[in-house]
Amino acid sequence: MSQTLIRRLVNQAYSRNIFIYNQSLLSSNEPILPSYIGLRNTSFFNKLPAEDIWRGVTAVSNAGKKRGRGKGSGKKVAKDLNKGQSIGFGKCGRIWPGLNSPIIRGNELISQQKLNENLDRENGILKLRDSMGSFKLMKLNPIDRGWSGSKMPGRSIGPPDPVGDEEFVSFDTRVLENKIVFIMKGNMGRKRRYSVLSVTGNGNGLAGFATAKAPEVRTALRKSKNRAGQKLINISLCENRTIFHDFRTDFGKTKIFCFQKPDGYGLVCHRAIQTICKVIGIKDLYAKIEGSTNIQNIAKAFFIGLMTQRSYQHIANETNSNIVQQQNTRNRFIDVKGMPCLNSTPTHNTQEIDYMHFTLGNQIVLQRKATVPFYVYSKGHDLHQFKKERFRNQANVRLHKLVTVYD
Amino acid sequence: MHLLRSLRQLNGLQGVRQAIRQVSSAPTKPAALQYERDPQPLFTDAETQRLLQSMTQLNLDKVYRKRTVPDNSSETKFMSNEQLDNEFQDLVVRAQHMLQMPPIVQIKKDVERVIAKDAALKDFANSKFVFTDITFGRRQSERKVIVRDTDGTLAYATLDTTKRMNQLYFPLEGRQSYTPRMFALEELLAKCLAEHKYEFILDRLLVQYEPHEPEFHNISARVFEHLNESKQFDLLRSTRHFGPMAFFYAWHRCIDDLLYDMIRRDYLHNAVELIALSYKLHNIPVEYQATLTELGKLHPTPAESALTELRSVFRRHDDKHNIEQEIHTAIGKKEPDFAADEISLKFIEQYIASEHALKKVQLELAVQTLKEVNREKLMLFQGLKKAHGVQAS
Repeated sequence: MSQTLIRRLVNQAYSRNIFIYNQSLLSSNEPILPSYIGLRNTSFFNKLPAEDIWRGVTAVSNAGKKRGRGKGSGKKVAKDLNKGQSIGFGKCGRIWPGLNSPIIRGNELISQQKLNENLDRENGILKLRDSMGSFKLMKLNPIDRGWSGSKMPGRSIGPPDPVGDEEFVSFDTRVLENKIVFIMKGNMGRKRRYSVLSVTGNGNGLAGFATAKAPEVRTALRKSKNRAGQKLINISLCENRTIFHDFRTDFGKTKIFCFQKPDGYGLVCHRAIQTICKVIGIKDLYAKIEGSTNIQNIAKAFFIGLMTQRSYQHIANETNSNIVQQQNTRNRFIDVKGMPCLNSTPTHNTQEIDYMHFTLGNQIVLQRKATVPFYVYSKGHDLHQFKKERFRNQANVRLHKLVTVYD
Repeated sequence: MHLLRSLRQLNGLQGVRQAIRQVSSAPTKPAALQYERDPQPLFTDAETQRLLQSMTQLNLDKVYRKRTVPDNSSETKFMSNEQLDNEFQDLVVRAQHMLQMPPIVQIKKDVERVIAKDAALKDFANSKFVFTDITFGRRQSERKVIVRDTDGTLAYATLDTTKRMNQLYFPLEGRQSYTPRMFALEELLAKCLAEHKYEFILDRLLVQYEPHEPEFHNISARVFEHLNESKQFDLLRSTRHFGPMAFFYAWHRCIDDLLYDMIRRDYLHNAVELIALSYKLHNIPVEYQATLTELGKLHPTPAESALTELRSVFRRHDDKHNIEQEIHTAIGKKEPDFAADEISLKFIEQYIASEHALKKVQLELAVQTLKEVNREKLMLFQGLKKAHGVQAS
């Protein structure tokens, strides 16, 4: 509204100026000096093609890209301003015979004429442009989501590609890590690639993992998926759902303690181990990671641990004693899992072995001390504890008194 | 959320109220089959108990089957052979404890026992006063509950009030103050019965009612009658309710269906025990002791057989007896079993011929079939032994 008002005012002023100019032109006898209005009709706008102009807005320079600038590039998309427009139809509706209407209709010759201003068309085009420019979030089914948002780690990328006639039936591959890595080259300089770690498996004890690098994400994903399919390892599962025994395993600075758990416990562990377990087919497991949580090291350590599992029979033979499992769900029924093969009189060890310590290799999970609140070291807290000291254990003493009354 | 919960509670209460209103038509109405005299002395008798336990059998897999527990963790241990054997013995003892039968006793009648009538205290209040002895460590049955009525009478409380007060001060886990809907509404109980959830009903019954209450008798009688029609006796085998069930049938002279089931499943010694029990309960002058002692020698008790089954893990696979064992497991019988079968069959046929059996044709047919199968098994057994050169022991 206000814009149109201003435009009208300017127009008026302009026409008046011309009028004055004409008057002076007519009235004076001075030589006519043309007054030039500084018009610069050249700019990058009309010198460069649309493609280049758009790139300036939406992309990052090559140098910038090398420095890692423009993380949001790709979110902005160039708008095609020609979309929704056609020749002959414009802001002010006009009939142009021969352009947007026939020249002769019947016996009548159609002349150029103005029609009502079409606001709907204008609004429609603006709307179209708005929808074009904004970046659309990738719509991802909640089931297909990975660990976080639309990021790759944790997402499924399908089974490895078939090799010849051999197809990977019932396999599923999941990405564990997707990161950018750089290397320096003598002639190329700093070169970046994508490194992808993925794990593939059939959910029934057959699984493999591999890392692959490629300049494109998609290629890296495909390469790592197919490489993982070439490195399958058979892992036997206990009761088709868990591990055979607790174990401790490490790789580099990563140490993992894994614990066998009863049916229905679920996977209580690091998300990388969770994903690996799902792919392998392990359903019940508790794992505690000590030290570094580097994804590649976790994957390696976990697979090493799984491969070094021993069967009940093996452990029984090694220790020369029976292995017995008691489940609370079965009211602590004695379930004999393994008996030593040579049932000679067992050499009595002076030291009794604990099953868990044996399987964990005499290592235990570090129990960290709970962090104490800040006020523990304050004077007020000391005072409070002094005051409370007289009453400690009072409740227990009272209860005990009550109990002894009935004896 | 809170509103929703309170609404739901209200609904639940309404259900209970409805249930109470419907009590008259409920399953607690007197059953057709009642114990007309006190069954307790005959039930707790040592011989009866032995017979019932033997009939119940002891299938450890069923006794220690998977149940829902709050803590479902498991423990894995190393054990020496001695420790393992001790654990096995403990397992059987615990199983026997779990199979302890609920007693069958007479329905207790309410007797009014007035302590004092103080007419002076009349209208001292417009409600009764109930005094409960809540001394710690006293048994529920010996806890005194006394009521002072509004007319000044001081008397011992009725059984119903006593149970209520006990439940109030010393709540039993799982027992409800109101009648559970399952027992109050006819259609719910009928649904449970139709789905053959006999063990569930009887377990719940035990928690909710005392064995001397009429509801306990009526509902359990109802369940046993339904079982007799559906013939799913195997559902109660190796549970604590099989003994009372067999006792119920023997008392009310309707053992024939159970007997048929036992013969069909080749539990002949159990069939003999059942017949002996019915003879014993009804004082029928038939000598059964001799047969029972003979069978007792040939047949191990359920606990013994369960223990031997557990101990079979110690047996080495490369043993000499291996072949013999394999033949036994393949056929499922040993020589003493065949001998015992003959004795039992004689006893059972004697029963079928007598006037006590009601479904004679059916039973005779079952016995004939079993005899043929047994004969074939025996021939196969002997043939296999000969082929493998195992000495007849």
